[in-house]
Amino acid sequence: MKSTRKILLAFVLIVFVLAAIATTAIAQKTVSRAPTAADWAALARLPDFTGVWEISRGGGGGRGVAPAGPALTPEYAAKRDALRASAPEDKETANCLPAGMPAIMGQPYPMEFLMTPGKVTIVIEAYTQVRHIYTDGRPLPEDPDLKFHGTSIGHWEGETLVVETIGFSPLTQLAGGIPHSGNMRIVERLRLTGPDTMSIETTITDPRVLTAPYKTNITLARHRNWTIAEYICEENNRNFVDEKGKAGVILNNPGGLPQKKD
Amino acid sequence: MKIFSVIMMASIIAAGATPAAAHHSAAPFDLETQKTINGTVKQMDWTNPHTWVWIDVPNDKNGVDTWGFEGMSPNYLGRRGWTKSTLKPGEKISIVYRPLKDGSHGGMFMSAQRPNGEVLRMTGQAVD
Repeated sequence: MKSTRKILLAFVLIVFVLAAIATTAIAQKTVSRAPTAADWAALARLPDFTGVWEISRGGGGGRGVAPAGPALTPEYAAKRDALRASAPEDKETANCLPAGMPAIMGQPYPMEFLMTPGKVTIVIEAYTQVRHIYTDGRPLPEDPDLKFHGTSIGHWEGETLVVETIGFSPLTQLAGGIPHSGNMRIVERLRLTGPDTMSIETTITDPRVLTAPYKTNITLARHRNWTIAEYICEENNRNFVDEKGKAGVILNNPGGLPQKKD
Repeated sequence: MKIFSVIMMASIIAAGATPAAAHHSAAPFDLETQKTINGTVKQMDWTNPHTWVWIDVPNDKNGVDTWGFEGMSPNYLGRRGWTKSTLKPGEKISIVYRPLKDGSHGGMFMSAQRPNGEVLRMTGQAVD
């Protein structure tokens, strides 16, 4: 009797352990299942974010409104000051490196939102970029690869899409001239504020860098008649910033690829 | 012309940036100075990340120098009434620009005027 119970207990335990391993394996692998007709129908009940949007401020050229700068810890205030003292004359975007998050969301170019079952995709015209926001319930990865746009998941809180993003490349910045620590976390709350207006409230946390969460807001306008245009930055980029931080312009070879002199 | 410059400056300040601010800084350009130059359009590069207008300008050696002017992107201008053939090779044009600090033959395209007085602006409200 006793030994039978032991065997049974061991068996139950093994089943639990196997189930746990299986669950973990699935969570890490992230299975995207085929959408059903019901999944497509469910999309129609969500707020319609689809279409081409642009920041609505002064006809372009505007960026995310930052009412107050980020409140920095002494460590990162010192880092910012040191970077500022030896700051290059330009950002790497002059060499066509894309801005990354969060700056890529503040460009004076449109973005197209696509909604498909389990996913919101943002096609960003500037630098031909794309953000993938998974809304299928998958968790954020525990050890994400470091990427310009990080890794994003989203969920709906009523009419608001809440996007959480982690895992940023060290080449991205928390804000202009301020590096992140590697543990930056960005939460964006997207909601329609009118038939063709959208608000995005962005909250950045990074305890080693910030003494308080850094919040910014942008308002987008939907342009139903627009399409996303091509933007190949290397097509004819005559701007550069060199390794010494000197910015310049290349005036040779009109109509062709500019030839940088050594 | 002076009134026009004031309007241009006001619209640039209203936009919160120099026209080219998104892709690169204004470091190579002298933003304190605004000049006007007359020439003949050689070609317009309707390209990213910037348009470039190349004009031939008579020099003092009985020849011409080609000057290049960096403008807003085709994506930006295309939503503000410009097309790839707004400026055609051979047409006379007067360009208002911010010169390159190193003195080379080029600058940041601010606006242009045709001989008939039509002014071509780089900034403004996008049209649907």
